[in-house]
Amino acid sequence: MFSRTQSRTSRGVAVGAAVVSLSLTVSACSVANSDSAGTTAGGDVVRIVLPQEPPTLEPCDANLTSTGVVVRSNITEPLVERDPTSGELEPLLATEWEQTEPDTWTFTLREGVTFSDGTPFDAEAAAHSIDRAVNGTFGCNVEGYVFGDTELEVDAVDATHLTVTTPEPDPILPLRLSFIEIVPASASGTEKVREPVGTGPYKIEEWQAGTKLTLAANESYWGDAPAFPTAEYQWREEGTVRAAMITNGEADVATGLAPEDGLGDAGVDYPNNETTAVRATGTYAPLDDIRVRHAINYAIDRGSIVDSLFDGYAEVASQLVPDGVVGHNPDLEPWPYDPEKARSLIAEAEADGVPTDTEIRLISRTGLFPKVEETVEVVQKALEDVGLNVSIEMLDTAGSVQYQSRPYPEDTGPYLMLVQHGNQAGDAAFSVDQYMLSDGAQSTFGTDEFDAQIEAAGKEQDEGRQQAYADVFADEPDTIGQFAYIAHMTGILGLSEQVSYEPNSATGDEMRLAEMTPAG
Amino acid sequence: MLTFLRKRATTSLLPLVAVLLGVFLLARMTGDPAALYLPENATEAQKETFRTANGLDLPVWQQLLDYLGGVVRLDFGTSLRTGEPAAEMALRAFPATLQLALTTMVLAVVISIVIGSYAAYRPNSLADRLASFMSMTAASVPDFWLAITGVWIFAVMLGVLPTSGVDASMLSWVLPIATLLFRPAGVLTQVVRGAMVSALSAPYVRLARSKGADSRRVVTDHALRNAAAPALTVAGDLAVGLVNGAVVVESIFGWPGIGKLMIDSILQRDFAVLQAAVLLTAVTIFVLNVVIDLCYALLDARVRDKALV
Repeated sequence: MFSRTQSRTSRGVAVGAAVVSLSLTVSACSVANSDSAGTTAGGDVVRIVLPQEPPTLEPCDANLTSTGVVVRSNITEPLVERDPTSGELEPLLATEWEQTEPDTWTFTLREGVTFSDGTPFDAEAAAHSIDRAVNGTFGCNVEGYVFGDTELEVDAVDATHLTVTTPEPDPILPLRLSFIEIVPASASGTEKVREPVGTGPYKIEEWQAGTKLTLAANESYWGDAPAFPTAEYQWREEGTVRAAMITNGEADVATGLAPEDGLGDAGVDYPNNETTAVRATGTYAPLDDIRVRHAINYAIDRGSIVDSLFDGYAEVASQLVPDGVVGHNPDLEPWPYDPEKARSLIAEAEADGVPTDTEIRLISRTGLFPKVEETVEVVQKALEDVGLNVSIEMLDTAGSVQYQSRPYPEDTGPYLMLVQHGNQAGDAAFSVDQYMLSDGAQSTFGTDEFDAQIEAAGKEQDEGRQQAYADVFADEPDTIGQFAYIAHMTGILGLSEQVSYEPNSATGDEMRLAEMTPAG
Repeated sequence: MLTFLRKRATTSLLPLVAVLLGVFLLARMTGDPAALYLPENATEAQKETFRTANGLDLPVWQQLLDYLGGVVRLDFGTSLRTGEPAAEMALRAFPATLQLALTTMVLAVVISIVIGSYAAYRPNSLADRLASFMSMTAASVPDFWLAITGVWIFAVMLGVLPTSGVDASMLSWVLPIATLLFRPAGVLTQVVRGAMVSALSAPYVRLARSKGADSRRVVTDHALRNAAAPALTVAGDLAVGLVNGAVVVESIFGWPGIGKLMIDSILQRDFAVLQAAVLLTAVTIFVLNVVIDLCYALLDARVRDKALV
């Protein structure tokens, strides 16, 4: 016989069990906001885990890493593509291109290509894609990155021929156009699309916002069918978790890893064309004095940062672009670590009345790269040790972008920014124009003479171009001294034993699924 | 009862409006989304077009009036990041958080009652030491560390649980819930233990014992019922924290809940989504508080009598 107490206890337990059941078993253990479909390992699916969900898959924002890594050459394709290893342009949706006038390039387009929705690809679609990305008014990110304020005139001559005309002769226009992903002529010209249609080897099958993005092989793809019929993307903020997913067999490819994420042999490192540097504002004392800027260069022990913070997964930098980018100067040596020299330069400036004790803000962005906080602290300590007064400000993306790009906020006082610049295009013009021209989007000062040198370099081709930009990098420290370069960075990719893939310098921005094959 | 609900709704309206105003105004003090959403070298004309298209060019008071008007019409705006209706995004994410919060709280309450009661009934026993250990570690171990350690031990080393994500099995629930459970279970166990120690030494318990009531009945019928009120207060606060979004846990485990959505909207200056998410959680917390008050009324006749007045 049950006592009253026992029956109440039983009732309480029953209520508790019922509520747990409500949230667990009644919903069949499924998590709301997901279909809770298990991701299965196997030869048909390649599973990729990224640091963040793409905010959009709009092709004209594909130069943004989080979008481009999914979209570029997977869902959509450009007319030409740059081989990240050789640096040469390769045909893709265009089979040939030539400079038919000093300011005009003519492209011959591939025939027999259709978009994944069945629409045929032709010159009209290509013209529309370039026009909406470059001349559109809805803020395509690729426009700013690749073309600046340049307006292009684009004409579809016939179904397979396209001409592109620039206001000034542009020797690297095909390279610039390699950043324009081609969409159908029906794609909106006035607003961005979230889920694009393209000609790539994959198409979007399902996007469960917040949970998972699934791509399926595009049956109408003009090239060879990819080895994996399905690709699944998930995202986890923590590098440790991404690495654990590889170890635990839950993912095949993980991006954005750091040495301390503990991946061991499953980690593959590759040069990612990113360079970290401290950029100085030259408009406020004491940073308007070149001796102080040179002192900053002497004060930073780059070798220790690379060895201790980056575990050797980086290379001490002497310039803004790494080896492999047109214009890289192989003869430049990194600044020597010489704190005594730094102190004497600061003392010299102080003796001439430069207020070297003014507080300098050292600004950077959280999550910019692994160990960014520690790097900022090391730089601050190094600058304090040679007599400067430096305070740290770590901001989020929206907070830091105002200090990074024009128009800069007013009355900021002197500040240094720890930046990371990636040159995805393989040509120094994409770095120098925005970081070194006196009115560059991310430059704070310069001189007319140096601007003229940069602009002259931009008009050169081939060997002349290489040498002209190499000279720009050689001359910048003495004439301007806006930067203290720290390191050319290395990316680490997690790779399971199920998948074979060789990362290259473009992998961080454009990870081609068609290059992945089942291992063995 | 209706009077009670009406009074509660009236008193909750003011804080709700204050929260909405606060979030609306503070969000707009964090910077111009045009700088984030447009290219680095966007012209001022492009930025102005962006601001006009999204109503950000209007004076703040006018933006606020437009927003409040929208709320009345159940139009919560559109996400700058995805172009989707903000309310849809918030409503889609919220149930996943509720599932986590509800399951965690039920388990925390059950664990704390069992261990806390036994610890009070048997001082210095294993249960008592466990209760002290749980409360101390709960107060000192950060969620972040617990989650990563859990992934490392149970997924990587032992291989018995998935690292993260949501799949068709119950296993993907274990680590997120275990991580979330640690703090509320520890705190509640200590509260239950303390309340039970007081209750078990109260005159009415001594009276019940002197009348010959058996030990289990003394604990469950007399002491536990009277110890429930302080535990309920703390449980309510803990539940509010969980409903508000288990941000760290959702981020680490890739759980598609509202905490993660809120953080993303703050970082992306996605004002409409942030406001919709905050409004939804604020309303839910209001409902939760009403439920807690009703539970008080069930537990305590004095509260029930006042509520019915």
